[in-house]
Amino acid sequence: MNQQTVLEFARGPFFYFALLFMLFGLAYRLFSVISLGWSKNRVPNKGSQAKGVFMTFLKGVLIWPFIPWVKNTFTRNPLIYIGGGLFHLSLFVVIILGTPHMLVTKSLVGVQWATLPLPIVDFMAATGIIAMLILLVNRMIHPVMKLISGPAEYLAWLFVFLPMITGYMMTHHIGGSYESLFTRHMITVDVLMIWIPLSRLSHFVFYFFSRAIHGQEFGKRGVAV
Amino acid sequence: MSEETIKKGLADKGVSRRDFLKLGGLLAAAMGMQLPPLEQSGLPAALGTPARGSQIEQNILHALETKQRLPVIWLEFQDCTGCTEAVSRSVSPSLENLVLNTLTIEYHETLSAAAGYQIEQAKQDAMKKYAGQYILVVEGSIPTDNDGAYCVIGGRTAIDHLKEAAAGAAAIIAVGNCAAYGGLPKAKPNPTGAKGVWELITDKAVVNISGCPAIPEATTGTIAHFAIFGTLPELDNLNRPKTFYGKTVHDRCLRRPFYEAGKFALSFDDEGAREGYCLYKLGCKGPTPYNACATIKWDQGLSFPIQSGHPCLGCSEPNFWDGGGFYQGQSTPLDKPTVAVVGAAVGVGAALGIGTALVNQSKKKAKKGGSK
Ligand code: SF4
Ligand code: SF4
Repeated sequence: MNQQTVLEFARGPFFYFALLFMLFGLAYRLFSVISLGWSKNRVPNKGSQAKGVFMTFLKGVLIWPFIPWVKNTFTRNPLIYIGGGLFHLSLFVVIILGTPHMLVTKSLVGVQWATLPLPIVDFMAATGIIAMLILLVNRMIHPVMKLISGPAEYLAWLFVFLPMITGYMMTHHIGGSYESLFTRHMITVDVLMIWIPLSRLSHFVFYFFSRAIHGQEFGKRGVAV
Repeated sequence: MSEETIKKGLADKGVSRRDFLKLGGLLAAAMGMQLPPLEQSGLPAALGTPARGSQIEQNILHALETKQRLPVIWLEFQDCTGCTEAVSRSVSPSLENLVLNTLTIEYHETLSAAAGYQIEQAKQDAMKKYAGQYILVVEGSIPTDNDGAYCVIGGRTAIDHLKEAAAGAAAIIAVGNCAAYGGLPKAKPNPTGAKGVWELITDKAVVNISGCPAIPEATTGTIAHFAIFGTLPELDNLNRPKTFYGKTVHDRCLRRPFYEAGKFALSFDDEGAREGYCLYKLGCKGPTPYNACATIKWDQGLSFPIQSGHPCLGCSEPNFWDGGGFYQGQSTPLDKPTVAVVGAAVGVGAALGIGTALVNQSKKKAKKGGSK
C-alpha cells in the first residue's frame, strides 16, 4: 500500500534473497576457479611460500599505500591511484566502522565492535562519492580508459555509486521522508549484492585469494640447491 | 448542552477571565502555534511564533467566546483504551481538562456512565441531532475478516458502527496507531484482518493521531483546532497533523549529540547508559518515527521513553510491530537466513563451481588427448 510496505520488502525478503544469491554466486565462482587445481610443485623451493603470502599482504595493504611514489602505478597515474585508494578506504570506513552497518553485521552474525563518530564516517562517505565522480569523469575522457571501458564497467560503477549516494542522502535527510530514503538505500544495496557475483565487483573477495596465490609463487624464490 | 458557548461553559465552572485568556495562549501552544523552535523546524510557515496577545491568540479567544461546544462521538473497537487513558489523565486545570471543556462528549464507551441499550440509544439520538456537526473519534482497529465477526457491539459489527457514524461526521479523527494504521491487532499474522479507519472510510479525510498511545496533547490539540477554526490542520502523507508529526523523534532527541559523537550505550546498565548516551545500538528506532515525544513529552512534559532510558519503538509509524526487534538496530534486515540456509546456499554454489571446474578440466584433457 505505502512506502512502509516497500521498505519492509527491501529490508525483508529482497535482502534475504540478495544475501543468499551473493553467497551462492561467490561460492560458485570461487570454487569453479579453485577446483581447476594448482600446477604441481616438483622441486623444493629456496624461500618459504607462507612468508611470501605474508609479505605480499603486508606490502599491498600496509606498505605501498603509504609510500606510493616508489611505484610506477602511482607515478604514471596518480589520479587513479589516489582516487581509487580513497574510494576503497571510504568503503572500508563506512561499511565496517559506520554504526548502522556494524549493526547489520551484528544482527546477522552476532559480533559487535566499536564504530567511529558520525562526522568522520560522513566525511569519508563524501570523500568516496567525490572520488567516484572524479574516476568516472576520468574514465570518460581519458583516451585509454575510454577504450577499455564498456557497459560492464559503467554498470559496476553505477551499482556501487547508488548505495553510496542514497546512504549519504539518508544520513542528511535530503530528498524525501526518511522511509523513502531508507527504502532507496536498501533497494540499491540489494541490487548491488546481487550484482557482485555477476561482475568483477566480486574482487572484494577474490582479491585476497589471488594475492595469496601470487604471494605463494613469489615466496618460492627459485629452486633450493 | 452544546448550544452554550465555550466561554460561558467555562465561566459557569468558575474559570476566571484571567484563566480564560491563559487558555487562549495554551491552546495556541497546543496546536503548535507557539512552540519556540518552530521557525527553524521546517513546519508550515503560516504557524509563525506569535507572541502573547498576538493575532492568532486573539482569534482563538474570539472563537472561544463565540463558538458553541462541539459534540464528540468516540468509538472504541479493537483497542486497549490506552489512548483514552492518555487523554483523560488530566490534573485540573491542566491543558487536557480545559480542552475537554470545549467539547461535549456525547458517546464514549469507557467514560459514559450509561451502558447497554441506553447508551446505544443516546448515541443514535446524538448522531441524529448533530448530524453533519459532530467530531467522530475512533480508537482501536477494525477487524474485517469473517464479515467483521471479531468485534461486535450491541449486535452490530465494528465496520457497521464506523460507517454509520462516519456518514454524519463533520470530521473524523483516528486516535492511536490501531485506529490509524491497524496497530497491534494488525501485527503479523493479523488474525482478525484488522484495518485502520482510513482504509475503510475513503470518502472523507481521516486525521491520524498515531502513537501507542497517541500523545494526548496531539489528540486534544487537533480536536481543539477543529473546534476553533472549523478546519482540519495541515496533514502529512500519512494524514498526521504536521504540527505534531513534522519531525522525527531523532531530530529533537536530547541524546542526539551523543549519536553524532558516536557515543552509545551498549547495555541498559553500562557506563554509557548512566551517562545518557544514545540508545541507537540498543535498538532505538528514533530516526524513523515522526512524532512529538521529544518535545511535548509525557505526563505534562515530565519525560518520555528515550529520556527515561528506553529506546524508541517507532510507535507512530504504520506496522511498527513488524518493523524488526525492538532491541535490534533499526538498520538491521528484517529476515535473516539461518546457518543451515546459508550453508545450503554456499554448499550448492561450491558444488556447482566444482562441477563446472571438473567439466572444464575433462574437456581440456579431451582436447589435449585429441591433439596428440
Ligand atoms: S536515542 Fe534514538 S532518537 Fe535519540 S539520538 Fe539516539 S537514535 Fe536518535
Ligand atoms: S518514543 Fe517512540 S515508541 Fe515511544 S511513544 Fe514516542 S514514538 Fe512511540
